[in-house]
Order: sequence, then structure tokens, then C-alpha cells
Amino acid sequence: MSTIQNSNTAAAGTAAADHKKPVRPGTVIIYLFLVFMAVIYLAPLVWIVLVSLKDNAGVNTDPFGWPGVLHFENYVQAFTMGKLGYAILNSLLVCGVTLVVSLFLGCMASFAIARMKWKLSEFINTFFMIGLMVPVHCILIPLFVRFAHLGLTNSRFGLMIPYITFSLSTVIFLMVNFFRSMPGEIFEAAAIDGCSIYRIFFTIAVPLSRTGLFVAGIMTFVGNWNELLMAMVFISDPMKKTLPVTLTYFVGPYATNYVQMFAAIVIAIAPTITVYCMFSNQIVDGLTAGAVKG
Amino acid sequence: MDRILRDKKAIFIFVAPALTLFIVVLVIPIFQMIFYSFCNYAALTPPEFIGWANYKKLFTNDQTFRIALKNSIFFMIFSAVTQQVIGLFLAVLLTNIKRGRNLFKNIIYLPCVLSSAALGLLWAFLFNPKIGINALLAKFGVRGPLWLMDSKGFIPLPMWVIAFVALWQYVGQNMMLYMAQITGISKELYEASYVDGANKRQSFRYITMPLVRPMVITSLSLNCIGSLKFFDLVYNMTQGGPNHRTEVLATELYAEGFNYFKYGYASAISVVLLIMCLAVTLIIRKAIKVETYES
Repeated sequence: MSTIQNSNTAAAGTAAADHKKPVRPGTVIIYLFLVFMAVIYLAPLVWIVLVSLKDNAGVNTDPFGWPGVLHFENYVQAFTMGKLGYAILNSLLVCGVTLVVSLFLGCMASFAIARMKWKLSEFINTFFMIGLMVPVHCILIPLFVRFAHLGLTNSRFGLMIPYITFSLSTVIFLMVNFFRSMPGEIFEAAAIDGCSIYRIFFTIAVPLSRTGLFVAGIMTFVGNWNELLMAMVFISDPMKKTLPVTLTYFVGPYATNYVQMFAAIVIAIAPTITVYCMFSNQIVDGLTAGAVKG
Repeated sequence: MDRILRDKKAIFIFVAPALTLFIVVLVIPIFQMIFYSFCNYAALTPPEFIGWANYKKLFTNDQTFRIALKNSIFFMIFSAVTQQVIGLFLAVLLTNIKRGRNLFKNIIYLPCVLSSAALGLLWAFLFNPKIGINALLAKFGVRGPLWLMDSKGFIPLPMWVIAFVALWQYVGQNMMLYMAQITGISKELYEASYVDGANKRQSFRYITMPLVRPMVITSLSLNCIGSLKFFDLVYNMTQGGPNHRTEVLATELYAEGFNYFKYGYASAISVVLLIMCLAVTLIIRKAIKVETYES
């Protein structure tokens, strides 16, 4: 919103009657470049869909051409042979439970950190931010050993525990900023009227923070939906694996069933793209809002 | 009213569940990991303290670790430089246009939310030595390189390919952060500068650059930590091959820990990774001075 717009308003001031601003060559070059970028970003995604509808012979002879006959059975095979149906259900279950629990716990903690008055609040807030700096890889081995003792490996519940923990950092990071940006008078007024702190939280703070919760929710859900390493380590039963792990079965120098692989890729990324298209502005704005204030 | 907001019991109830989970699942395992890194610990035998031996072996006698370290550092520097520069460039470009800004912004940001495991498969196919891009090149009579199978050079070709794919996928993140920062700059500043006779380049140099600086810290830290712990794309594109030439710290850690079950040794790699992440964050915070401007 900066330079060109400003110079345009300045130009409009000097040549006031000029309705149609002349299109400047600079603008044309910028748009050509942006269209070029958009093609770089969208072409591979369109191409995945095209390949997923071919047969294997067609992929080998002419991978970039238009598919002649549409082979929708690739999708059916990817679902049945690649066990993608189970993978999607597992992913939904793990990510869904993680989403609800981490939002609930994170929201409570953020409210106490941002809005209640106690000495350690800043320290605890910084402490939760460790989770954003420490890579998951670092706790993988101790956690795996511990979980193996407790019988939590190879269980979807066991996978949820580290997911919830790492999501907490993100949720608290976003929600503390969100609660702090709210006017504090609402809470103080409610407190003066004799409202208990729990009622303040559940009937005032939570409903008012829906936008923040939405962003935090999308962020944790997308992050966990795409998470590969922990899911690979913690779960070995093919029926319990999540979507990204199932996709790795299609990797390797000897994997030759390309059409199924591409059908699987489409199935894996289509839900994310749909959600993204529906809420892209909120997602993008929300994600940056959190980062900017921090 | 103050009494209610200072209610110790309520604070405890609110914070305790999250804090407990955090300590048990994150903090205690970090210390355990540091302890394991000084142990000879294979999956089936109990850990046995051996001092610095794991680290000695890592830094003196492990060719693969050296490759992984080199690749990770290359990857971090490449990502930091390219993603910051291109991200800022795109942000400036997009904040300067009126029509279609959201459209282009959303398109460029899209791969950031997609599964890199899935996108890795796509790019692995495109850079296959026989099919994909090389098939296209062959039509024009050009014999393409081996791409992901090439193993020559200090930084082998597959590493460059992966780095460019990562650039493609994640540059939107930096662009978004910078865009948010630039749109936050008051328009009056620019207007004042034009009144004073500044041109666009000058206003970029003297207004935009200093004012986006706080964002450089956030964006660069995220960028560096993200590329140090990079795993998905490498695993799905090359699995560390050919001949361990594209191993990075995360894939090396995974291989030592969960293919060979050398828990102690893998823990030593985690410690190196953790120290690198913390060091990079600290260095960035110290190196980039932020002056606060009153707005």
C-alpha cells in the first residue's frame, strides 16, 4: 500500500481531470512477472491432477500431455491398495483431538498469562515459547523410549500427546497476543459486577476470542496434518498410520506405480487446498497477525 | 475486582494442565536426551555412561555426519539468503500494486500450507533421471543431468534441487511476514518523503528498510530454525541418497536412531542440532539491532 499508490494520489492531485490513468510500462512488467510467478506456483498442482488421471504407460511416454482417457480408477486403487481411507480417518482423528485439546488448554493458559495479575506470568510465557525454538527431533528418542515403556507407541493416543504439547506453544503464542489486544475494561467491569473468574473466562473471554481461536486452530491443524517425522517414529501399524506417513510408501527408486502415487498426492492435498480457498484471507492475515505482534 | 484477577487458585487451574504437559513431554525429555548423548545406548541394553565418546566419534570419525552437517549449514545459508531477499522483493512488489494483490499473495502462500511429504513426491518425480523434466528436455534433444541421482561436487546437485524446491514452497512465508510489516508503515511517512523530494528508491532505502528490520529478526529466525530441522522434503525426495550425499542432520538423526537403533549416538546428533538452533537464534537477535521508532 505504499509507494505507487502514494505517487498516484500525488499525480492525481496535479492532473485532477485525468480519469483514466495511463498504464505505465512498470506496472505491466510487474503484472507480467506476477502472472509468471502464479504459473510457477499453480502449474505443478494442476499437472498433478492431470497425471493422476492417466495410465502408467501414458506417464512414461508423455508425462506432460493431456490425458486421453480419464482413469478415475487410479483414485479407487490409491484408496484401497494404499490404505488411504484409513490414513485419512487416522489423520482426522489425531488432528481433530489435538486441535480441541490444545485449543482448550492453550486458551486457558493464555488467558491467565495475558489477563490475570501474577508475578511469574511473563516468565511462564517465555517458557512456553521454548516449544517454538526446540526442534521436535531433539525429544524424539527420549520420548520414544518413555512411550515404549508405557505402551504408548503404536497408538494414536500416544501420537496425540507430543502433537498437543507442540501445538500448545503456537496456540499460547497467538492467544496471549490476542487476549492482550482486547480492551481490558470488559474483564474488569465483569469482575466488579461480581462475576467469577471462570464465568469471565467461559462467557466473555472465549466467545470474544473466536477469531484468534480460529487462526490458532487452523495453524495447529495444518501443522499436524502435514507432520511426518513423529508420526513415522511413533506408529508402525499400517492401519494406524497418518496420511503423510502413508504417502512415503510411494517413495523410492523402485516405486513405479506413478499414477496411483499422483492420485494419492491429490487426495492428500485436496482437503487442505479446499479449506485454504475458503478461508485464505483469514488464514493468511491471522497467521501474520500473530507473528507481527510477537 | 483486583482480587478476582489475582486469584491464585484460578491461575493454577488455568495454567497447570498446559504447564504439566509441557514439562513432562518437552522439558524433561530434553535433559534426558542430553544424558543419553553421553551414553552408549542401543535399543535393547540399558544406557551406559561413556563420557564424550559419542561426540568424539561424531566430529572425528563419521563421514556421514560431516556430510549431513555440511548440507544442513549449506541449506540454512541458502534458504536464509534467498528466501529473505526474494520474500522481501515479492512483498515490496505486492504492496505496490492495487489490483489482485490478495490473489497473488494467496497463490504464492499456498504451498506453505500443503504437505511437504506430498509435494516431495511430486518433485521427486519431476526430477527423476528418466521421466519428468528430462523427458521434456529429451524432446528437444537435450540430455538433462541426473538431478536427484547425481552425487558429484562439494554440494551435490540433488541438494541444490531440494534447496530450490524448499525456496519455492516456503518463500511465501517470508513474503507474508514482510507484507504485514510494510502495510503497517504509516502512509504519511511516504507522503512526507515525497514532499521532501525523495524518489521511490530513496523512500525504500530510508523508510521501508529500517522499518521492516524488526521483522527480519522474526523471519530470519523462523527461516534458519526451519531449515536446520528440515526433514520431510529430503526424506521424500532422496531419503538421504545417493550414497548419503544428501543427508541432512534430521535425516541422519532419524537413520541413526530408528534404522540402526543407536539411541545414544542419535542423541548426540540431537544435541548438536539443538545447540545450532539456539545459537542461530541468539546470533540473529544480537546481530540485528532494532531501533524503535515512535509512530
